Amino acid sequence: MTMSRWLIVLIIGVPWLGAVVLRLVDDRRARLQHFLAAAFACITGAVSVALLFSSSGEAALSLPLGEVFGTFTFVPDAFGVSLSAIAAVIGCLAVIFSVDYMQGEAQLGRYYSFILLFIGAMAGLVLSGNLLLLFFFWEITALCSYVLISFYNDDPNAVKGGLQALIVTQLGGVGLLAGALIIQANLGTYQISTFLAEAHTLPAGVLSLAAFGCLFAAAAKSAQAPFHYWLPGAMEAPTPVTALIHAATMVNAGVYLLARFYPAFEAVPGWKTAVVTVGSVTALIAGIMAITAVDLKRVLAYSTVSQLGYMVYAIGVGGVFASQFHLFSHAIFKALLFLAAGTVIHSVGTRDMRQMGGLGRSMPYARAVFIVGSLALTGIPIFNGFWSKELVLESGAAVGPSWAYIIMLLGAGLTAIYTIRMVWMVFYKPAASEEHYHDAAPYMRVSLGVLAAGVVVGWLLVGPLGRMMERTLPYHHLHGLTLPELFAEAFRGAPLTLAIVFAGFVLYLALRRFAALWDRFDWLARFADMDFGFSWISDRFAGAVQGIAEGARVTQTGQLNWNIFGLVLGLIVILAVLIVGAA
Amino acid sequence: MSLSPVTVIWVGVFCLFGIGLYGLLAVRNLIKVIVALQILVKMAMLALVAASYSVDKLALGQSLAVMVMVADTIVAVIGLALAVQVQQRLGTLDIVELSRLRK
Repeated sequence: MTMSRWLIVLIIGVPWLGAVVLRLVDDRRARLQHFLAAAFACITGAVSVALLFSSSGEAALSLPLGEVFGTFTFVPDAFGVSLSAIAAVIGCLAVIFSVDYMQGEAQLGRYYSFILLFIGAMAGLVLSGNLLLLFFFWEITALCSYVLISFYNDDPNAVKGGLQALIVTQLGGVGLLAGALIIQANLGTYQISTFLAEAHTLPAGVLSLAAFGCLFAAAAKSAQAPFHYWLPGAMEAPTPVTALIHAATMVNAGVYLLARFYPAFEAVPGWKTAVVTVGSVTALIAGIMAITAVDLKRVLAYSTVSQLGYMVYAIGVGGVFASQFHLFSHAIFKALLFLAAGTVIHSVGTRDMRQMGGLGRSMPYARAVFIVGSLALTGIPIFNGFWSKELVLESGAAVGPSWAYIIMLLGAGLTAIYTIRMVWMVFYKPAASEEHYHDAAPYMRVSLGVLAAGVVVGWLLVGPLGRMMERTLPYHHLHGLTLPELFAEAFRGAPLTLAIVFAGFVLYLALRRFAALWDRFDWLARFADMDFGFSWISDRFAGAVQGIAEGARVTQTGQLNWNIFGLVLGLIVILAVLIVGAA
Repeated sequence: MSLSPVTVIWVGVFCLFGIGLYGLLAVRNLIKVIVALQILVKMAMLALVAASYSVDKLALGQSLAVMVMVADTIVAVIGLALAVQVQQRLGTLDIVELSRLRK
């Protein structure tokens, strides 16, 4: 018990200390900054791995803060320790990758200190057992995401993307805060464990308000429809940041929230259907948009949105374990894909896939790891994505609505199409230029190698993960799987899924061969390019606010007469209210 | 007709909210933006006190309001210090112009 208490203090304290230290180091001492950031991140990673071995369902650390805030507790249960391990270990690899990737960039102190701040906040978010504390860390992660997306702050696109991400995730934060306050007002506590135990005593209306507030928050944070458009905009961030925050950790916070509160909201009428709808619709439209995008990072962003849709769908059909397992796999293979894409972008100098091609010859290492990640994304056997995606689909086949299951199967086919298109355009298409590009640098190779190994063998951890969840999550009544059970589950649906994936491959090849057929889908492509109108709505909304502001500006004449008139009018109103009130 | 004090306070809360929101939308001078933000924070403080009065926990609301006062003063000081720096370095306080002035 005391052991886990110290580990929790360290897992938040070490990266935050690092964030302060890196702000203090002079920006001209870049080598020292790289070294310090890597050191702090590696220590955090080691602490998070140690924490995996001291998981428990009890609060390990409580700070009583009086009547208003309740007690701030940290609970090292299975969700907490596994997600904080993902955040810290992938964070550590992203920082090591950055040593080469950010070589020669200015303002490294700002870059590294916000990454470290983020790692600590993410660990705090998943370990906290108090709703208010959860909200606190939730907002810090949104802040870090904003700062890091807009890291190149002389690029207007980066500033716009950052602001968009900040506003959308803040909107979600309002949903979470509303849910937390409703729960507090009715139960008198912010403790998540108390809430899960006593949720059934709440009036139905109150509970469903909290449930849909949480779904709102989760959809905004995890880039689910109709809020998915901020994630592609977030691709302006430096690639290691994208891999860490916008693929492996922060975007999972929404899925985590749904999984955490699943036992309480399970019985709310319509909630599970809403979750299934959000997940499956998102998986479908993001899959279509990934097929038409030409920006390498955008394709990966849409694919992240789509895979998050799979996790949300799994929760909606009651497969919390499947969802968490897919989250675990996805974090590893998507971080690998983003970092490999970062290697390519770093040497080619563009993100446009039309200007790439033939890179396989000059970058064999990047190609190898990228293909490993792609196979996992597509769900080809023995790679980790295969097992978890099959598990998600299996849990949906049994209980969920059949239309959603069919959409998810279609989504698997779409995944195959955009993945093979991406690999083809980057590495195999006839080269766009004769230039020879350099392959991954040494530190990049270390990160990529570790992640690729994780993709190949990570799924072997399914047994311990399941046992830990059974042991430490008393309200979820989860049933973990052992390896033989996983084999049985996965291969039950595998022939169907693999046939669809194969059909996707064939369809892509056919579409490339018969250009006329491709043109037939032109309207869909154009519609997908417009983001199915979602970003149009958001732009219109922003435009309307701007218009109102411009309209209101007319009243700011700057003339003293008007101002004095306003003052006197206000005084009269106040006096009138007072006189009427006294009468 | 007679209004209870709490009703008057709630009217004040909504008035302050309206003024603050109007200020944020209509005003372009950085210092005035900070003033508008301050008005919104004052609205929150007043709402805390009014709400705690309605549920008979006045001391709680007042202590929270004092806490907000501390945090909010820090925000104001930092904001104004930034505004002074902006004026000295860039020669303007117009927020639209400032966002166009990117290097």
